Amino acid sequence: MTPVLQTFKLSKWYGNILGLSEVSLEVRPGVTGLLGPNGAGKSTLMKLLTGQLKPSLGRVRVSGQSVWNNPGLFRKIGYCPEHDSFYEDTTGRQFLWGLMRLHGFTAAESARRTEAALALVDLVEDKDRLIRGYSRGMRQRLKVAQALGHDPDILILDEPLSGLDPLGKRKIIGLIKNFRAGNKTVLVSSHVLPEVEALTRDIVLIHQGKILAAGDIHGIRDLIDAHPHVVALKCDRPRDLAARLVREPYVLKVQVGAEGLLTLETGNRDVFFGRLPSLIVELDLEVEEISSPDDNLQAVFDYLVGR
Amino acid sequence: MSIREKGYHHWDGTFLEPMRPWRPIARLGIRLAFRRKFFKFAFSLSFLPAFVFLAGIYLSERLQDFRGIIKQDSLPLDVQPVYFLRYLTADFLMFMTVIVLVFCAAGLVADDLKHNALQLYFARPLAKRDYVLGKAAVAAFFVLLLTLVPGWILVLFDLVFSGSLALLRDHPLLPLSILLYSALAAAFFASYSLLLSSLSRNRRTASLLIFGVYVFSDVLSEVLRGVFRSPGFGLLSVKNNLKQVASALFAVKPSLDAPWVYSALILAAGAALGAWVLHRKIREVAVIR
Amino acid sequence: MRAAGRVAVFFLGLGGRSKRTKAFFVLSLVPLLLAVLIRLRPVLSPSPRGFSSVFYYSNVVLPVYVQFLVLMIALFYGTAIVMEEVEGRTLSYLLARPLPRPSLILGKFAASAALGLLMMNVGLLASFLVLRFERAGDPAEWLTVLRDMAVLDLSLLCYLALFTFLGTFVKRAVFFGLLFCFGWENVVAYFPGLTQKLAIAHYVKSLIPQPPGQAFSFLQLRLEPSPPLLSVLVLAGLTAVFLAAALVVFSRKEYVSAD
Repeated sequence: MTPVLQTFKLSKWYGNILGLSEVSLEVRPGVTGLLGPNGAGKSTLMKLLTGQLKPSLGRVRVSGQSVWNNPGLFRKIGYCPEHDSFYEDTTGRQFLWGLMRLHGFTAAESARRTEAALALVDLVEDKDRLIRGYSRGMRQRLKVAQALGHDPDILILDEPLSGLDPLGKRKIIGLIKNFRAGNKTVLVSSHVLPEVEALTRDIVLIHQGKILAAGDIHGIRDLIDAHPHVVALKCDRPRDLAARLVREPYVLKVQVGAEGLLTLETGNRDVFFGRLPSLIVELDLEVEEISSPDDNLQAVFDYLVGR
Repeated sequence: MSIREKGYHHWDGTFLEPMRPWRPIARLGIRLAFRRKFFKFAFSLSFLPAFVFLAGIYLSERLQDFRGIIKQDSLPLDVQPVYFLRYLTADFLMFMTVIVLVFCAAGLVADDLKHNALQLYFARPLAKRDYVLGKAAVAAFFVLLLTLVPGWILVLFDLVFSGSLALLRDHPLLPLSILLYSALAAAFFASYSLLLSSLSRNRRTASLLIFGVYVFSDVLSEVLRGVFRSPGFGLLSVKNNLKQVASALFAVKPSLDAPWVYSALILAAGAALGAWVLHRKIREVAVIR
Repeated sequence: MRAAGRVAVFFLGLGGRSKRTKAFFVLSLVPLLLAVLIRLRPVLSPSPRGFSSVFYYSNVVLPVYVQFLVLMIALFYGTAIVMEEVEGRTLSYLLARPLPRPSLILGKFAASAALGLLMMNVGLLASFLVLRFERAGDPAEWLTVLRDMAVLDLSLLCYLALFTFLGTFVKRAVFFGLLFCFGWENVVAYFPGLTQKLAIAHYVKSLIPQPPGQAFSFLQLRLEPSPPLLSVLVLAGLTAVFLAAALVVFSRKEYVSAD
């Protein structure tokens, strides 16, 4: 699949402050999560991808075209900015309708799209209230609605779940997942790891303006050989299992906790999981639960960011 | 597990040190003003009249040296209280005072309203009066720097250049007049700029209001005075009211043929309006006991 | 152009609803209030000045519009065209639409101009009707007011274009605008010769007939007027130049909000 969003050694300075440093990235159709702590450069990258900012060095391409001063591209880009700003003296409906009209849709078409977008984000009941009176969650949903209203092929969402309650988050996550059908592209940024995990397995990790890693969560995790994998087991006789595991060369550390919990560190997860079933049978254990506490984004993030 | 009620206790003790919370607010406002680009330029320009009047004081003492260039009776260089009154109420100085206020005072309340910062302020042990006092102190500081400080320095220079205390002997209340007028101007302009700053969340709007109300009041008053030939309309002008009160403080006949008390009342009413609007606009945290 | 039209309609709707537009409308009617007071002056004043209403129209009402209201409206709306979107952080919504960057400026300029022109013309026309209604049947009077409205409109457009340009690249555009309008343009009027021609106000006042007498001279300050045709061409030319410069700057500049 050809990449939809591309950057080539993209760098951006704000005076003396480095926002991005030599970021080369390719985003293909599907959902890609852009993950990084506050100040990592996520918003800067998204602003460069949406033509809000000009690169200091390097290139940005969307569908093979330069994005700066290329308004035609925005027929197929929907952008949800991070900041919470609106034309406060308008209603939600007026705001969306106006933006649809700016897209060039007729008045009737704009009205239809406005209603559809408001329905998608559950703002139909409050559509005729002034935005000034909206709650934080309603404002966030309105921002997502304005990005979706013109049915774009590419969605660039900067912290779209910020300020939403759990129900609202679930709704938007569902929307994003539905959106990717039909070969569409979503780039969504967040610093909240479970949110990104809920959306996608394809992530780009950014920190201090640099790309630390890009790809599948598990693939990235597997690359981090320097850090042993942690596995947790709950069984009826953890001490017997521990005594057996301690002798295995790929097991680095074993710890027995309360209530049948056994935690171990292994330098080779694949070998360990290959050997584990035969150990369970050999010792005739009753295993309640097996989990990898660090086979998740948090661990990947912590390892790479070096906390 | 039972849920026990945990009552909230309000702390009713006394602070160990005297609390003057308005001071950090004032200090911050002053520092922020100086950080603004071009503010230093505008502020420096405001001292131009002070230098001109200082030169005048020097010339008045050294007229014999300039006899060849200046005819003594062609220049009103008699340094009396009216000379200092003319400095303090000079049109250019007042205009630049308003420009300085546009820089330093337009955003004092407007920015706090825009960024919802009032909640941050009143989450501290800060009363509304401290907040208002701190903000007002920023505007008052700059007005006093333009009026009181140069005013007293001009008196000092006159004593130095003349080599005698004649000015103070003849007019012992002159420094007090300068102080009183400067305090009045500072209090009025502080109230005026805070009032207009609180009317909008947009600093740009507040800037235009601060400037526009001052200029427009003057234009309107002159127009109506011209139409109706009534000096009373002169009291519509902010500038004229300040000049009227200043004249009274310096025991000089005012330029407008209207009682100075009216001007004082108008200025007081303006300040009271400012206080009332601020009281309504600034909502502190309500403590329920 | 169609894109600019869409932008203009959008912001006309926004601007028409805003509190500040209503406030400016009220402000623009202050000369109308003056006109009413002037008409009532034989009742209100024991010894009214012996000038005609026509005199007051030319010497008071029109100069208040030209020397104050036009400047304030142009300064406020002109600087707001770009700065308001940047400070309010709503520029990203506009830049993320399929709109050429120049169309944003043109559209907002058109919307601001429409609102400003409406305010000025309604106020001036109403003031004229109040002050000169006895001669409302005289076509020459209507030509006068139409001429005056055209002068107001041209001066508003010129100042609006200037402040739009200023607002595209200067953060303290209001400060510089105030210094220009009430500092430079007042001071330069005292300078002889060609120096006067370095002020927009010079060309505006060259289009308004100099009234006789020195009453309200604080509102009338013009020496050595330029020919009317030249003044119109200069004002129109300056409008085009400032607007073009604003389009160029806005197309090339990136705007970073203070996050």
